[in-house]
Amino acid sequence: MAIKRGVSFYSYQQAQFFGEMDFHDMCREVRESLNCDGVEIINEATVPHYPFPTREFLADWHNTIARYDLTPVALDCFLDTLRFRDHVMTKREAAELIKLDLQLAADMGFKHIRTMTGLPVEVIERALDTAIKLDVKIAWEIHFPIPIKPDPTIQGLYCESPGTAVFDTLEFIKKTGTKHVGFIPDMGIFMKGPYLDMIEAALRKMKDRELAANIEAMMKEVPLAELGDAIEKKYPGRLSPQEKRAFTWKTAAQPEDLELILPYVFSIHGKVHDMIEVAPRVYDDPSTMNAEVIEVLKKNNWDGYICTEYEGQRSRQDLDREHLADEVEQVRRHHQMLKRLIGEE
Amino acid sequence: MFDRYMVVEDSLENVEKDGKIVGFKFKVRIADYRGCFLSLHNGYYINMDGVEYPRELQKFEINGKPPRDFEEIKKACFEHWDFDDYGTVYVECPGGLSKGKHRLGIMQSILTQYGWMPHDEEWIKNPPVPGKGGGGKQEEIYYFDMEIK
Repeated sequence: MAIKRGVSFYSYQQAQFFGEMDFHDMCREVRESLNCDGVEIINEATVPHYPFPTREFLADWHNTIARYDLTPVALDCFLDTLRFRDHVMTKREAAELIKLDLQLAADMGFKHIRTMTGLPVEVIERALDTAIKLDVKIAWEIHFPIPIKPDPTIQGLYCESPGTAVFDTLEFIKKTGTKHVGFIPDMGIFMKGPYLDMIEAALRKMKDRELAANIEAMMKEVPLAELGDAIEKKYPGRLSPQEKRAFTWKTAAQPEDLELILPYVFSIHGKVHDMIEVAPRVYDDPSTMNAEVIEVLKKNNWDGYICTEYEGQRSRQDLDREHLADEVEQVRRHHQMLKRLIGEE
Repeated sequence: MFDRYMVVEDSLENVEKDGKIVGFKFKVRIADYRGCFLSLHNGYYINMDGVEYPRELQKFEINGKPPRDFEEIKKACFEHWDFDDYGTVYVECPGGLSKGKHRLGIMQSILTQYGWMPHDEEWIKNPPVPGKGGGGKQEEIYYFDMEIK
């Protein structure tokens, strides 16, 4: 029983876009630099001709996994409900898409698929036989702002009943006793401060340059978590609603809430926006309760992978190539933090 | 996402058909972190030197097939635009563009999303007009300085 480390190749999306890394390079980085074995991919980014890969690709994939001695953890899948363009995708059709993804996961050696936040129980039910037959589990992602504990005040975001979606699925799991349905919590639900990259992007684009300069000065004095309130107090109404969003943050779930669902947590998205040097050569992302969450996992002897999901590159893509984020370095820093918190070193 | 890198530098060319210049074309990437089922690709807001070229004047070439208009693209619900692949946007413009520098304003509309949304029925009946809000990972029109050589 142990917490294991992995990487979602989502983290290297920019390197892939610019042709700097393909899945072979990413696999090598996981083994040779990060010295771990967990791999998670985005189906529609890594698999050419998705959802119907060639046999050549599958052979290359398995060979690469073997070469670097890796473990396919999760295949991330989507639910594009407008795809048919002449009608909205029905729940029956959604289940058919999930079956295609389950088959792809089985063909690539993944243990579970990551489906959309709040996937309705009716869809899960229709795809469950296939999941059992292939022995690939269905896990939906608990993504911000979805809570773990029921909170009916959360409405109209991502799914039909966001406030109770986790417990609706939990009830189904307990009622049926299925071992093939669960969750992938995203660490973004455990926020303890705003994301620095979002703040920097908002400051770069702010038309009120005087306000931007004043905020930059405030950042030297005020802790990031309190920055939004401090700006509002000192400069009421000066931020546009869009700008305000960058400084606003909310905790969707407490680390101990995980205990309510831990047997059904198949893996975790180690969401990260900015790995900051908090002490000489010691890194952390101050936006997220990393230490607190890993403490809960250790206390409960949770066995599974935390896969890094680096996302800080996206908000910087208005910059020159030379000022874009260094995804490889950010993921390396995240793994340095994971090793420290897990107790690997 | 990738706004600044979506259009491929130096890819602008005039298009010739039966000895006549009928328009211009340029290469694009999908401005997202994943590819998409092709049917979700909903066209572009295109403004070349101040002139708008609506979706009806655009075609898209991908997967080794001849350029298709966006009514055809809509039907490609089992075909995929892979994340690594470059597509070519064709724009109908009799006579094409003059030699020299041009300024392209562009926004990509792709109807990918994370599950069912309240706008679903409306977007089936009236798909969003590219550049006029809705669809895609871009928040604003991005401008590229390009050249016909």
